[in-house]
Amino acid sequence: MPLIRSTPSNTPPIEEPTEVNLRSSFADSRWAAARAAEHNPDSVAALAEALGCETDMRVREAIFTALARIRTPECVDAVLPYLRSDDASLRTAAIDVLRVVPKSTGARLVELFADPDSDVRLLSCELARSVDGTEAQRLLISLIETDKEPNVCAAAIEVLSEIGDAAALPPLARCQARFPDDPFIAFAVRAASDRLDTPGDRD
Amino acid sequence: MTDKPIAEEDYRRLCDYLYRRTGMSVSESRRYFVGRRIAERMAATGSTSFAGYFGRLRGNLDHELEHFVNAFTVNETYFYREDHQLRCLTSDLLPVRLSVRSAHQPIRIWSMPCSTGEEPYSIAIWLLENWPEVDAHNIEIVGSDIDTAVLASAREGVFSKRSLTRLTPQLTDRYFSQIDADRWQICEELRGSVRFSAANVVERNDTRPHGLFDVIFCRNVLIYFDEASRRVAAENLYENLAPGGFICLGHSESMSRISPLFEVCRFSDAIVYRRPLRGAQ
Amino acid sequence: MIERRPRVLVIDDAGLVRLYYRKILEAAGYDVDEALNGLEALERVLEKLPDLAIVDVNMPQMDGFTFLAELRRQPLPAGGIPALVISTESQARDILAARASGANYYLIKPVSESVLKQHVAMLCGIPEG
Repeated sequence: MPLIRSTPSNTPPIEEPTEVNLRSSFADSRWAAARAAEHNPDSVAALAEALGCETDMRVREAIFTALARIRTPECVDAVLPYLRSDDASLRTAAIDVLRVVPKSTGARLVELFADPDSDVRLLSCELARSVDGTEAQRLLISLIETDKEPNVCAAAIEVLSEIGDAAALPPLARCQARFPDDPFIAFAVRAASDRLDTPGDRD
Repeated sequence: MTDKPIAEEDYRRLCDYLYRRTGMSVSESRRYFVGRRIAERMAATGSTSFAGYFGRLRGNLDHELEHFVNAFTVNETYFYREDHQLRCLTSDLLPVRLSVRSAHQPIRIWSMPCSTGEEPYSIAIWLLENWPEVDAHNIEIVGSDIDTAVLASAREGVFSKRSLTRLTPQLTDRYFSQIDADRWQICEELRGSVRFSAANVVERNDTRPHGLFDVIFCRNVLIYFDEASRRVAAENLYENLAPGGFICLGHSESMSRISPLFEVCRFSDAIVYRRPLRGAQ
Repeated sequence: MIERRPRVLVIDDAGLVRLYYRKILEAAGYDVDEALNGLEALERVLEKLPDLAIVDVNMPQMDGFTFLAELRRQPLPAGGIPALVISTESQARDILAARASGANYYLIKPVSESVLKQHVAMLCGIPEG
């Protein structure tokens, strides 16, 4: 029979790179180093520094993964700058890390929601999904009451339609009134209001 | 409580969440069916309101996401499940692999997780029955799982009639012997050829020693992990794939919810993913 | 001439945006598929070829420009489907970047129902009236 039994002794091992070093000129070495760091909270500073100059996508992903596994408040500081990145995969990776440390991320939400960069405020709405419900809703409502950018408000309405409750209904209506000519805001407020106003929510 | 129908907007809210989180879409035609399953899960979890249940689902309390998905997908394991991936294996994946690497090294295939063994044994039977070149190659099939009880069951190789439903009587005769009214045991040659090992896909020290594979089947597990575990598992599987090797996910799973490390490949029978031949740029 | 219902793939990470386009386009006689990032969009295109892709720019995992570049690398017919980028960015450099990635047309959000229908019809090769 052509099927042969695999055994530990007939399995060629996966090649280890000759050095395991975040500063190596070989991507495989840097990848191995990032992966090895995943249980070591002391390596956050080195990982953060390496992230700043890493150009290999796979290594960058591994660094973010290590930070997501380490999960300390220092990891939040290490990844926050990447919310501003032009690279979608960096932003996503940063959000992945922030999502697994909801308490530490929650503590930074107020400042993120007040960031002068509208793209950061927009992404912060996304982060609010994974943070405690009451605080997240409070911040999102405050945003749709005051933010000047309709796209940021649209992002907040989107998240509210998932995590919000009837308390969001009057602020949603007021948001629509602030952007009377925006056909999408009108639609989004209607759709979100329909969701948050269902009898199923009430016992 | 189970008699109260789910409000339309609540249903939509949940489906939107499910799609965003897992990539699964629920067609309109299944609306009533899925609505009933939501009601059942609400009762099972003691949720007195939709909002309460939805919070539980979003927070994945007590693995609720998995319970919910299991409630409306056919999640039992059986032989020749998702045979379109098996067809893809012999029609496309193995020929492509053989076109880029030496024909003399063994072809290595990993079923991870393998549960009670139906998947790795199905791969074995499928190859023996459907791959004209099967005798020209050495093929190693490995099945791994975190659960040692199912591994013991897989090694024993005893299955119920239900599990064999998709196999023809000829295949059943050829590869199984009947032990009693509802139990068939897979033949000793196959039990002896497939290696079963304990491994946690999130634990690198478990996965690494398994070496490089040409094809990995990793179905219906990644999608339930949190962000950190998903990322680690994807990296582990990447590490265990030969460059250019393929990974097959479950029918309603997509790498778009899991990891950017793999390239998507469309073949006539399936969409699969591939570790790039050269390192990612 | 398209005799069956034309198919549009809507690619945007916001569910409400996808719903907005879906409602407008289904009422106008199109079939609509969805994707929420560029990776999923590639899978959708490979699975069921649409007549047009509506592409948001800022999406997780893989943004709209990267998706377009990947799409244009695919063999025909997938690589040749028309792509309408609908984005919040309004600078000239964003429009140039969209063109460079392979977009056929560019609209700035928010897009009204009539503007959407008009441009979708145009890019699907459906005459007005």
